[in-house]
Amino acid sequence: MISNMSFIERIFYILQKYGTSYLKGAGTTLVIALVSTFIGCIIGFLSGIIQTIPVDKKRDPLIKRVLLGIVNVILRIYIEVFRGTPMIVQAVFIYYGLAQVCNVQLGMWQAAFLVVSINTGAYMAESVRGGIISVDPGQMEGAKAIGMTHVQAMVNVILPQAFRNILPQIGNNLIINIKDTSVLSVISVVDLFFVHKSVSGALYTYFESATIVMAIYLTMTLITSRLLRLWEKKMDGGDNYELVDVMDIGSQLGKKESR
Amino acid sequence: MNQEQIVSENKTQENSILEVSHLEKSFGTHSVLKDISFRVHPGDVVSVIGASGSGKSTMLRCINLLEVPDGGSILYHGEDITARKMDVPAYRARVGMVFQSFNLFSNMTVLENCMVGQIKVAKKSKEEAKEKALRFLDKVGMSAYVNAKPRQLSGGQKQRVAIARALAMEPEILLFDEPTSALDPQMVGEVLEVMTALAKEGLTMIVVTHEMAFARDISSHVLFMADGVICEEGTPKQIFEQPKEEATKEFLARFRNML
Ligand SMILES: Nc1ncnc2c1ncn2[C@@H]1O[C@H](COP(=O)(O)OP(=O)(O)OP(=O)(O)O)[C@@H](O)[C@H]1O
Ligand SMILES: [Mg+2]
Repeated sequence: MISNMSFIERIFYILQKYGTSYLKGAGTTLVIALVSTFIGCIIGFLSGIIQTIPVDKKRDPLIKRVLLGIVNVILRIYIEVFRGTPMIVQAVFIYYGLAQVCNVQLGMWQAAFLVVSINTGAYMAESVRGGIISVDPGQMEGAKAIGMTHVQAMVNVILPQAFRNILPQIGNNLIINIKDTSVLSVISVVDLFFVHKSVSGALYTYFESATIVMAIYLTMTLITSRLLRLWEKKMDGGDNYELVDVMDIGSQLGKKESR
Repeated sequence: MNQEQIVSENKTQENSILEVSHLEKSFGTHSVLKDISFRVHPGDVVSVIGASGSGKSTMLRCINLLEVPDGGSILYHGEDITARKMDVPAYRARVGMVFQSFNLFSNMTVLENCMVGQIKVAKKSKEEAKEKALRFLDKVGMSAYVNAKPRQLSGGQKQRVAIARALAMEPEILLFDEPTSALDPQMVGEVLEVMTALAKEGLTMIVVTHEMAFARDISSHVLFMADGVICEEGTPKQIFEQPKEEATKEFLARFRNML
């Protein structure tokens, strides 16, 4: 009977029958992308922060320099390996590798979060390092000049600016992750693309199902990029500021508690 | 040497805030500071003048440990600041610095710029930090701009906020590295005015400057640097009216029409 339907009719038929499956798949995709991008950012920030710790050959103890050196080499290897190989291969490698070598059988969610987070972390590590380096060195000097330690300067001055600088790249990674979780279907993660494969496999409606899935992916990425734009705008704040009445300041100075 | 002279010599040694002796600094094979020695006593306003590239900034940056000296010593109340056990951030909190390029934290408002050091470094309460920040912003005539971000201010305004930020740490001595060099001529005056007021109040300062009138009229002591050494030093009267060295005369001749 489906063979007698027109294109539009088929789409409605599929939606009626499998609509909730598509939505569930889309939800799974979105959750994996959001959580993994978040974890990836944490990995990226930690890695970027470690890679930009300054070493003072005269003051720092040898043990600190050696440790830092080793950690930096490990981070470089991690970054190069996971940026230099396709995520679809990484997924298979990690999933079956853990099962075979370590005897660990990952669940669907664990596998998805692990693979995408590690992959995103490798990209974010480079972004964060670049974001930190691109902050005007004068900012660090200004912070040090009022007595801040390296950690205080990073937390209060450098990282907030680096974060703003790389926010577009975080957004970019999120959008890439929404699309690229589709490769996880090779390790049987039931995401949107997995639903598509199942449905079209059952009904032989590849084109129709692909149309639906395209529309869903596009909706998710468009909304995401709009929201990210809004966030960037909000972070930049307004272009205006209020001049404070000098009399107000005077009265605030007089009082102990200003609130 | 009679008794009186010996007594006064001892006294100056005890009282000095900073004692720079035989300071040396090279960048690679380029020797930038060669054997710099001088002392700073409470209430001194030391102006450092000299041609571009003579090492003035490098000397100031060594004093604040933004550059690590290669030789000689810098004693702060008799304590070697390059010693391993020296608490560098705590020392920097006592020795303020104002930069040519302002280095205001661009992720913070004017008020936050003046509060963050007090809260994070000096561990003051928010209320106390705010009160003090407002007091010093008022002093430099910037209290109306507490809510502005640095990018919304003119150069002269930024530098006045930078001075307030440094003052809010209540430093024992304040270092200025060409604070007016990046400013349009009409903004130089407003910054010099603030600095003059601070000098009159007895704040100890070291000022690297090309503003010869400021050096002549405000400072208690002038150092003329050439090629990494202090070529001549003395009171403003000695340096500007009876320079002994040929290099000093030559350098000052360039400013003749401005004095
Ligand atoms: N980080 C650095 N690495 C290499 N060389 C440097 C560095 N900083 C300064 N120099 C060199 O040291 C010399 C002195 O520089 P410095 O900035 O101290 O001079 P200055 O007297 O402050 O000059 P100006 O009046 O132009 O500010 C210059 O030749 C400069 O090129
Ligand atoms: Mg300089």
